[in-house]
Amino acid sequence: MSARVNTSGAILLTALAALSLLTLTYGQIALPLADTVGALTGSQSTDLARQIVLDIRLPRVAAAIIAGGALGMAGVLMQALFRNPVADAWSLGLLAGGQLGVALTVTAAAFAGPAAVSILTFFEGPSITLAAATGVAIAAVVMLALGRRVGAITLLVIGLMLGFTSQGLTSVLLHFAARAGGRIYGGWTDASFAGVAPEVLPWLGLPILVGTCAAVATAKPLSSLLLGETYARSLGVKVTSLRHAVLAAAVLLVAPVVAFCGPVNFVGLIAPHFARALAGTARILPLLPLAALGGALLALAGDAIIHAPWEQHFLHLNAILAIVGAPAVILILIFSPAVRQWR
Amino acid sequence: MLDLRSLAVGYRNTRGVVLSDIDLSAAAGDFVCILGRNGSGKSTLMRTIAGLQASLGGTASLDGEDIASMRPATRARRIGVVLTERAFNPSLNVEDVIALARQPFTGWQGGLADKDRAAIADAIEVTGVEPFLRRFFSDLSDGERQRVMIARALAQTPRLLVLDEITAFLDLPSRVEIMALLRAQARDQGQIVLLSSHDLDLSLQLSDGVWLLDGSGGFSVGTPDALSRSGAVGRAFDTDAIRFSPSDGRFEIRTSRSA
Repeated sequence: MSARVNTSGAILLTALAALSLLTLTYGQIALPLADTVGALTGSQSTDLARQIVLDIRLPRVAAAIIAGGALGMAGVLMQALFRNPVADAWSLGLLAGGQLGVALTVTAAAFAGPAAVSILTFFEGPSITLAAATGVAIAAVVMLALGRRVGAITLLVIGLMLGFTSQGLTSVLLHFAARAGGRIYGGWTDASFAGVAPEVLPWLGLPILVGTCAAVATAKPLSSLLLGETYARSLGVKVTSLRHAVLAAAVLLVAPVVAFCGPVNFVGLIAPHFARALAGTARILPLLPLAALGGALLALAGDAIIHAPWEQHFLHLNAILAIVGAPAVILILIFSPAVRQWR
Repeated sequence: MLDLRSLAVGYRNTRGVVLSDIDLSAAAGDFVCILGRNGSGKSTLMRTIAGLQASLGGTASLDGEDIASMRPATRARRIGVVLTERAFNPSLNVEDVIALARQPFTGWQGGLADKDRAAIADAIEVTGVEPFLRRFFSDLSDGERQRVMIARALAQTPRLLVLDEITAFLDLPSRVEIMALLRAQARDQGQIVLLSSHDLDLSLQLSDGVWLLDGSGGFSVGTPDALSRSGAVGRAFDTDAIRFSPSDGRFEIRTSRSA
């Protein structure tokens, strides 16, 4: 790792720690910084402060960091795998595919009867993650097959359209599921980190941990795929099995996020560009930690803004992310040399 | 030593066999040009020799070892390629592209050891790509890109270099420079350099040996001189409009079609 990567990483890590601490201090009740730190370290603090910080705010902050980091790394993998600078789990419809997977499972359970619903609710963590993973994987395989036939921009448009289709279907399915009495995930169409309960945090974190290991393991051969399939093969890479491994890593990183936080947009698309600018290289391995930290920072910043002590809480996470993200994507589309050549 | 024994190359589809019964060899230090018109099978042959495409029969072996059955990682240490297909990617800089050549030699992280850095530095010096090391690969001109891809192949320190149509985009001085560079590389490092081209004049002047594909599945082999004199070059390249003149060693436009 170069000094540039280490320095950038250290700065991002410090910023993330500072923002986390700040986010923990405010909400419905403002807490002094000393009380917040006290609650975290378990030293002097009131029971109320401890409850607010550890039970209410910390799971949300942790979810934002884990999910943002996972999306950032998945973005790095997908942009390399698709050789497409605007590829990410959201833009290519993988998140919407995951939502559809969950919606189908919930609907099926609702129609199967109360017993199925209660089993699903009892095994909420694994079952929802598995349903999302299936949806994400199917969407990813479809997009990868399409990606070999159409250009980068066409693929982006198709991904967004498939995303809309899946989200429409999800909404319709949940409508019928609710009518059938299985109203488990009714209002779940927007992204939020607030719904992650402490007991499902492991179900968010564990697959992402495994996915991170897989991402790190595939980083070296994936770097040579940046030169194209034939050059990668000439460097001794088994391209087909590499594709499968990278795809599996991306699914593991993305599925838990969509299962518990919903379709978080733009984070995975922007974080890799941010990481490349900081690292000064496109090699995958140094990009992974930087994109993870950048993604976590972006997700947490969005969350911090919507949970600021406003008088009313009508702000949505995806609205904030879109205000930052969409202009960034427009700039990428205009200025990225790769996009210009693929047109 | 590169040995082709009854090699047949082509595709397992309607294109079928492109070339067959190829028995050829090239020794360490040879700079061999493969000549032929478009569609004569140059690329198919090159890709098969490089192990990027399965042969339809026979064997290609490097220093006695069958190339097709080598482990991919072993093959990557011994054979370097530069292809016509254009490699580009956002924010892949020139240094990254060249450093990727060392992947077959590095550990799982891809970290570079001193030996790897030395190989990269040599390749950079020989090809003269130093001035654009920090630039983005996708911002380079065609000629600069081709040089970088050659530097990348050299940094791989292969025993066999396979370069397919690499001079097609270049102007004449660059073509001469690159071919002279590759010839010197073969001589100095004892590498086998296979270069396919339809750049007849230069290839005939600079190569140690020529494999000439006549476009209908046949081929002739020999030194540039012998092939020009025997009329093989003319048979492969002559059209109604131009003919190869063995005495001048170059093409001339047919002035009269009466003869």
